[in-house]
Amino acid sequence: MKKFLRALGSIRLALVGMVLLGVGAALSYDNPAGTPVWVLVAPLALLAINLFCAIATNPRINRRPGLLVFHLGLFAIIVLAGIGRLTHLDGQLEITEGSAFSPDELTEVKKGPFHGDGLSKVAFIQGSYTVEYNAGMVRGLTHSQVLIPDGRGGMISRVVGDDRPLVLEGYRFYTTYNKGFAPVLTWMPDQGEAMTGTIHMPSYPLFDYKQDSNWTPPGGKPLRFWLRLDTGLRQDAAWLLDGKKASGVLVVNAGERRVELLPGQSLRLEGGSLRYERLTSWMGYKVFYDPTLHWLFVASVVAIMGLGAHFWRKFGVRMQRTHESSITDTPVASSGRMP
Amino acid sequence: MNTFGDIIGRATELPWLWAGLVAYGLATIVVIAGVMRMPHRAAGAMAAHDSYVPSEKARTWHGHEKLVLVLVSSGVALIAIALAERWVRIGHGPFVNLFELLMSQLFSLGLIFAITYWRVPAMRASAVVALPLIWVLGIWVLTLQPVDTPLPPTYHNDWLWAHVGLGKIFLSLCLIGTGLAGVILLRHSERFAPWFRHMPANEVLDGLAWRFMLLAFIFHSLMLVAGAVWAQDAWGRYWSWDALETSSFLNWLLLGMGLHARFTYRVPLRAGAVLIIAVFVFAFFTYFGTPFYSEAAHKGVI
Ligand code: HEM
Repeated sequence: MKKFLRALGSIRLALVGMVLLGVGAALSYDNPAGTPVWVLVAPLALLAINLFCAIATNPRINRRPGLLVFHLGLFAIIVLAGIGRLTHLDGQLEITEGSAFSPDELTEVKKGPFHGDGLSKVAFIQGSYTVEYNAGMVRGLTHSQVLIPDGRGGMISRVVGDDRPLVLEGYRFYTTYNKGFAPVLTWMPDQGEAMTGTIHMPSYPLFDYKQDSNWTPPGGKPLRFWLRLDTGLRQDAAWLLDGKKASGVLVVNAGERRVELLPGQSLRLEGGSLRYERLTSWMGYKVFYDPTLHWLFVASVVAIMGLGAHFWRKFGVRMQRTHESSITDTPVASSGRMP
Repeated sequence: MNTFGDIIGRATELPWLWAGLVAYGLATIVVIAGVMRMPHRAAGAMAAHDSYVPSEKARTWHGHEKLVLVLVSSGVALIAIALAERWVRIGHGPFVNLFELLMSQLFSLGLIFAITYWRVPAMRASAVVALPLIWVLGIWVLTLQPVDTPLPPTYHNDWLWAHVGLGKIFLSLCLIGTGLAGVILLRHSERFAPWFRHMPANEVLDGLAWRFMLLAFIFHSLMLVAGAVWAQDAWGRYWSWDALETSSFLNWLLLGMGLHARFTYRVPLRAGAVLIIAVFVFAFFTYFGTPFYSEAAHKGVI
């Protein structure tokens, strides 16, 4: 048994595992579509087993505290990364200013099989936002206001953006370049109840030139919308994208008809009428959840500190010796010794 | 529209940068002339392939070495002024475009090289290899325009400092290892062997080089961690195998394999030296090549 464990924990096998991991990483270079995830998972699993056995059996690792901590740290990182993939969630969210977050609105969701239901506990309301632009339309800082329940019936206002995510229940919401405008429309059918909703126009200013969208009222004919915006956008100088200061004329194409609506104006259509209430905005977030994040950080820092300590012992001791003898650290000499 | 002349005219840091490069260039000339002349004076003082005993003699300075240190240090100081000048002029540090990255590497490589040159006499003649390598960046930077690029929103982050700083230390340590590895290889040529006659034996240089590489490995690991934390903040994921991440992970793995191979097998000295150089070349392409051949490098996802 011990012999078997020793063989599984051999450094030769570690080298094979590292080569395979290198190949897997090279195949995953830049995330080409179609590379299966096992090209990484298989070598990592092999390395984890190899590392575990080596730690258990090889005195060259387990009798040297620094190296032991380092290799245990590597083992922990592989295991934690695995747990992370099994429990993670990734997704995108477009949320309208003034509306409450709902997990149903997440799109492009990718999650591990053991992801829990923590997202249902997340609650916040999207506020307004501003985005700074440098000359040449180079995006600067984003300030997105969110309102979070304080647990006593009130709300706390917080500003997030760029590398300051909103973190709730372990879920991290990052603002993205993807954000834009949303006309608020009310459809008043001839029979039945009126309904109010928003139409998210394409990302702005990225698609400044094509702010259009389609919508078909219940029981009606398809409508085509085009939003003519005034946001103060400038190519040649710095400007601030601020939904509160923006205005927009909504151009509605219904069949052959083309009507321009200002906020508050209505349009009579077949089966009901449509009112353009006002212009609001939406913000696109990237949503990320991984419960192992902090542990991964701790494991890697502890591992590197272990390696640092090993280095210190290995060479710190040698340095003193060199004054009497010579700096000898030949591969053959060091392999048999345990500094 | 900015003309080339406008950009150059505004870039008040350029004269300082040029002066720094001249200092590095002079250091390179002095060190080559120095080692070419040294065998005649130092021959016999230390046998080429005996083990290295760092006697008092070895710790003293050979004729040209102090001048080399002064020149490299002046280069570092001049490039530091260039960096400061540019920083004040454009309002942010040298983190964004290639011109800035090369310029700041010229500073950090020079600085760490100078400190090592001063503290570790055994590696001094390896400047013959290391300084020309620094010069590759020096020539490259001369071909670029000193345009300024706005600081991306994700760069307003403290981890930037850790990540960039640790990466620079890694590359510098790698450069020092490469200098020593280069000496081991050059010694096999009859033409160059005499240049390094006063240096310790190859076995000693190999041990010293791998010592720097292990230290480089530690800093590389720290850089990866700091980069992952920053990536989590900046792009909402700590790791996603983008071009630069994959390349630097492979670089880390290659060095890890080298370290393991060395204590598992009797890796011949020359093969070990080639491995060190391979790690450095890989690092070089990771740092300065990846942003070119991939849209999705850090440069792409800002
Ligand atoms: C997965 C299985 C692994 C095994 C079985 C293993 C085994 C060992 C052993 C036995 C040593 C001590 C060697 C000695 O000085 O006698 C060692 C050192 C070391 N290992 Fe690993 N290792 C593994 C993975 C890794 C990985 C993935 C890395 C990083 C790429 C790594 C980095 C190091 C470093 C930096 C040292 C110190 C080298 C030195 O002191 O010169 N190890 N490893």
